[in-house]
Amino acid sequence: MQKTVIEPNGKSFQYWKDLWRYRELALNFAKRDITVRYKQTFIGFGWSIINPILNMLIMTFIFGNLAGFSENSAAPYQLIVYAGLIPWTLFSRSFTLASGTFVTNAELMKKVYFPRLISPLGSSLTSLIDTAISFGVMLIMMLIYHYTPSFRLLLAPVMLIPMMFLGMFLGLFVSVFTIKYRDLIQIIPLLVQIGQYATPVAYSMNDIKTKVSPTAALAFLVNPATGFVSAFKWCVIKTEVFDWHSFLISFAWLIVFIPIATKLFRKAERTFVDLV
Amino acid sequence: MEPAIKVEGVGKKYVISHKNTMKYDNNLQHLAVLAKRLAHPIRSSSKEDFWALKDVNFDVQPGESIGLIGKNGAGKSTMLKLISRITEPTTGRIEINGTVSSMLEVGTGFNKELTGRENIYLNGAILGMRRSEIDKKFDTIVEFSEIDQFIDTPVKRYSSGMFVRLAFAVASHLESDIMVVDEVLAVGDSRFQKKCLEQMAQSAQTGRTVLYVSHNMATIRQLCSRTIFLERGRVSFIGDVDEGIDHYLANGGGNELVKDVSAHPESSWATNEARIIKVEMLDTTECVYAYNEPIKFRVTVHAKNDIEKVTMRVDVNDRNHESVGMSFSEPIGDLKKGCTYEIDFSMADHRLAPDFYAATLTLSTGNNFGTYSSIDTVFHVLQFDVLGMEINGLRETWTQVWGHLHIPPIETTSFKQIESNQ
Repeated sequence: MQKTVIEPNGKSFQYWKDLWRYRELALNFAKRDITVRYKQTFIGFGWSIINPILNMLIMTFIFGNLAGFSENSAAPYQLIVYAGLIPWTLFSRSFTLASGTFVTNAELMKKVYFPRLISPLGSSLTSLIDTAISFGVMLIMMLIYHYTPSFRLLLAPVMLIPMMFLGMFLGLFVSVFTIKYRDLIQIIPLLVQIGQYATPVAYSMNDIKTKVSPTAALAFLVNPATGFVSAFKWCVIKTEVFDWHSFLISFAWLIVFIPIATKLFRKAERTFVDLV
Repeated sequence: MEPAIKVEGVGKKYVISHKNTMKYDNNLQHLAVLAKRLAHPIRSSSKEDFWALKDVNFDVQPGESIGLIGKNGAGKSTMLKLISRITEPTTGRIEINGTVSSMLEVGTGFNKELTGRENIYLNGAILGMRRSEIDKKFDTIVEFSEIDQFIDTPVKRYSSGMFVRLAFAVASHLESDIMVVDEVLAVGDSRFQKKCLEQMAQSAQTGRTVLYVSHNMATIRQLCSRTIFLERGRVSFIGDVDEGIDHYLANGGGNELVKDVSAHPESSWATNEARIIKVEMLDTTECVYAYNEPIKFRVTVHAKNDIEKVTMRVDVNDRNHESVGMSFSEPIGDLKKGCTYEIDFSMADHRLAPDFYAATLTLSTGNNFGTYSSIDTVFHVLQFDVLGMEINGLRETWTQVWGHLHIPPIETTSFKQIESNQ
């Protein structure tokens, strides 16, 4: 018979067991979010395809046509931008959704128990499903542009997993502070917007170093998303160079933030209900 | 045999911060406060500890049905929250042997955009059911909820009755060893309510442990084998159902007869020239009234100034603090500075539907132009229950969705046959 002990600062072991027991719920949350999102829309699921393409076209226009980053690019510039947007969107969505987890799910959390980590896991899963669709679109783009990728493309999906978790855990870190300071929720979209330009989405790390300035490159380097975004682009675009520096820095962010965010989140979720 | 629930020395502390509830007269004042808060973001307003539960001990044996009773604010809901793991205790330890399903609200996690079918799976998962388990129970749930033809319709198109039926059906078909139920589940029309209660009684008979919170003593008698009576966060009685209910009723049945309100806060919108210092319910022992029975109460008022043409305003609210109705008394008379008065009121022919009510009292004064200004307000001070009409010795049941006004039986003014069968 299942035995549960409830006490102040309860045992971690029990929590992780529960998390496993409730794993289906994360899937259900993701399913709910996706189903609800396109209910009563005319194009429906098509929006999952149109949105990233529109974003890509805007970025291509700004950075390719206006800023001139597309000059002498070895691959179709639209494809490069799209490949950069895939990991970036996954990261920013996971981050945004995870950071709002306490605020958006407050009503539910006040009435029913489930390991609270389930809801950010569910929302990250939602972003991952969107990413899978975008990935498919990217493959079609390759066919259209007659672009033959290298075998590195097989590695690309693997790169997305640390990207998702990095976004989620950074978001969890922020979520803890949103309980008391709702103001943070207002800042996050702005942060994400800035982040999109401070990440080598439409350009490569090399472009920044050579065309902008080494100081700007430093700012890109500390950006946690830079390494995984570059690495993903390296998988897709065969002429890209693997940037070890930024990759290791991204990896370090991940390694450091998983335990810190988990610890803070676990502490916050215990009594979060009493504070809202 | 190990107890299903073992509660040892459990306490739950809340920190209440007394925020500055002062109304800002103008934007400038508001800005000043905001600036101050920005300058000292950490420094908070005065704080006070409040123990919702303190040193609570009890055991629940497997298969028992326990009724958790007590006044509003005695800690019943907090206890349920702790057992359902929504929040953690501050002290002590709770040991649970078996799986728990808790129903603290009907329709938690339902999404209005999703269909009935989608919601069954979502809600089932939220309540801790596996997909295979829901698959197995699906038909039973649909049958119980009586909405089979609308199962693929978005829930937002459901009537409130259909919604509640579906929500209860999912929650009550959870397979768990221990069921924790809040009284809010007594919903839907009376026929469905009966069905829900039967379902719960049935689960109790099949060896499930049930922990049930209610203000309805009839339901407690019907469902429970033992009661726990909570008073101000402590267990003051455990044992036999009838004895527990006697304790509960002897303590005002949830409502206090006499209330000393001399320390209530002054309101910024009132003149505060007189103060209500005591409120007492009259002609009742349990603050329970029959249908349309006059609600009688005595208010003690101390005047700090001479006030003319005083009246009493009564705002009746339901348990969720939603307005139900309002009444002004006839002009009471004039108050003299420094004198204390005892004023008796009777609210007759109110037609309130059976439920719990909390009324706010406002002493006001009228002027020659027919407008009123407030002198003093005490919130939710008049607390009472109204019972259903008795018809042929049976107490009628009333559903919350029917509203709060019990319109007297409509008269048949004419009844005649206008066409014949032959």
